Amino acid sequence: MTMLEARGLGIGFGGVRALDDVSFAVREGEIRGIIGPNGAGKTTLLNVICGLVRPDAGEVLLAGEPITGLKPNVIAGRGLGRTFQTSQLFRGMTVLENLMTGLHGETRAGLFAAAFGGRAMLAEEERAREKAWKALEFVGMERFWDRPAQALSFGQQRVVEIARTLISEPKVVLLDEPAVGLSLNRLAELDRLLRRIRDERGVTLVMIEHVIRLVMGVCDRVTVLQGGVVIAEGTPDAVIEDARVIEAYLGRRVDARRRAS
Amino acid sequence: MSRLLGRRTLLALGVAALAAVPTFANPYVVFVGNQLMLYVILAVGLNILVGYAGQLAFANAAMFGIGAYGTGLLQVHFGVPYYAAAPAGALLAMLIGLAMAWPALRLSGLYLALATLAFAQFTLWVFLHWESVTFGAGGFKVPPPSFAPLPLPSNLGIYYLSLLAMAALVAIAWNVVRSRIGRAFVAIRDGEVAAQALGIDLFRYKAIAFGMSGLYAGIAGALHSALLNYVSPEGFDLFQMVLHKAMIVVGGLGSLAGSVVGATTLTLILEALREFKSTQEIAFGALLLVFVIFMPDGIVAALKQRLQGWEEPLRRVRGRPGAAAGAEARP
Ligand SMILES: Nc1ncnc2c1ncn2[C@@H]1O[C@H](COP(=O)(O)OP(=O)(O)OP(=O)(O)O)[C@@H](O)[C@H]1O
Ligand SMILES: [Mg+2]
Repeated sequence: MTMLEARGLGIGFGGVRALDDVSFAVREGEIRGIIGPNGAGKTTLLNVICGLVRPDAGEVLLAGEPITGLKPNVIAGRGLGRTFQTSQLFRGMTVLENLMTGLHGETRAGLFAAAFGGRAMLAEEERAREKAWKALEFVGMERFWDRPAQALSFGQQRVVEIARTLISEPKVVLLDEPAVGLSLNRLAELDRLLRRIRDERGVTLVMIEHVIRLVMGVCDRVTVLQGGVVIAEGTPDAVIEDARVIEAYLGRRVDARRRAS
Repeated sequence: MSRLLGRRTLLALGVAALAAVPTFANPYVVFVGNQLMLYVILAVGLNILVGYAGQLAFANAAMFGIGAYGTGLLQVHFGVPYYAAAPAGALLAMLIGLAMAWPALRLSGLYLALATLAFAQFTLWVFLHWESVTFGAGGFKVPPPSFAPLPLPSNLGIYYLSLLAMAALVAIAWNVVRSRIGRAFVAIRDGEVAAQALGIDLFRYKAIAFGMSGLYAGIAGALHSALLNYVSPEGFDLFQMVLHKAMIVVGGLGSLAGSVVGATTLTLILEALREFKSTQEIAFGALLLVFVIFMPDGIVAALKQRLQGWEEPLRRVRGRPGAAAGAEARP
């Protein structure tokens, strides 16, 4: 089954065509890589999919349902999670509170219930806390539950951010460069975590990544963007040999090879 | 030992002390105590909007004024009794607060500050110049509310009504900030984009924050009109706005305990400086500078470093969750 589909997406900023006729389809349970040089439009593509930017052409379907033009919070409620290129944990919260905030769409307490705190509301808070704890255990970060978010290292923040999107049991999670700034050991951990998210949680992943090693390791298929256009798509091995991709990455290829070996 | 100096203990002692004040103190002290309670309500409401939800709004004094004018004018023009006029005035402030969430969806930071400041100046202009309704610069008298059949003179009735309102409003705020609503506020403050990506509706939660702070200011205004039996524009000017802001900054942004501590500290300082008359505002400004320089994150942040019990989690269920907690408790 196709879980996420883009059909002819286009968006321009002033004179720049950041995306032009971008189409692709991601199967349920797939890990899709999106690669391309800086400024290729990768982040813009995720922004369009999750509703932060409205496309001027094309549409997006999530599990077969059109979601184009809906507000980002509504799209999130339909089962689309997202992490960002720079960590977006809420600084004024602890790790556990950040995760509980990820459950916003699932919890129901309104202003009156919150203000006068009935039993149902307390039970809901209790469930949210347990669920947050389980999500922390899943990513192996439960030791840090009570730390202020800003006290974590860069890599730890990334992992907590991933846990925060997983907690609401989304169908699809979009990841924007999750490996940026990670050491080699950490990279191997992230590799394992991404597979477990797919295998144990059944989440479909779409991941922008510059670290070719990670892309080659975990992605089932890779879509290559350049100048807002899809220039290649296929298995990681096929894509890396594609002449147009080599050209787009000219000068980067040697580097990619070395990291992949 | 330090537990005894915790937030809850001090707050309970504060309420008990305030309840006892009228039994021994003179009317002047009762009046200052009453003013203090209104400032606590104002500071708590403003901190929800500015400190928690991160909306840099400058219309709190205007909302305070709308509550007071609404309550007073309903009594004077239409003969509505206080117990009906006061909730109406407070609700009016809440509705106007709610309406402000709409521009807040498009404007942020300094632009929002400017827009709300302009609104506040417009409100003041209406108080001053719509003389046929508001009686202009001179203001107007409102009849003291009667508390019959309770054996309370008007001023003590308002005093205990204020105490009740303050206790209830602080408790409500305390519950709200520790719920998913409080977490949504902080999420919007710390990152609007990430908040949306987690399913948080920006408009809804900005509206709740503006509405709550409008309601709090409106209730304070309704009580204020009865405390003074008099309503005039100068009580709701820019100095008043700066005073509310200063209370939450000195106490601690994003901290309800900070709102209470800040309101108390500044009310007492203002009273102490009253003897200086013309130099009161200058001395006050200088003191504010001292606070901001030596405790940039507010009094509560400084307390938190030294004493237990001043943490303010954003959730009701405390302690460590999970099965591991039970295992840990075993010997
Ligand atoms: N909001 C915006 N306004 C104007 N131009 C934009 C906006 N967002 C993106 N762009 C432009 O669109 C193009 C694609 O940017 P995008 O951030 O999507 O690239 P990217 O592939 O994610 O690059 P990187 O690898 O550096 O993260 C760039 O030319 C960028 O300047
Ligand atoms: Mg990018």
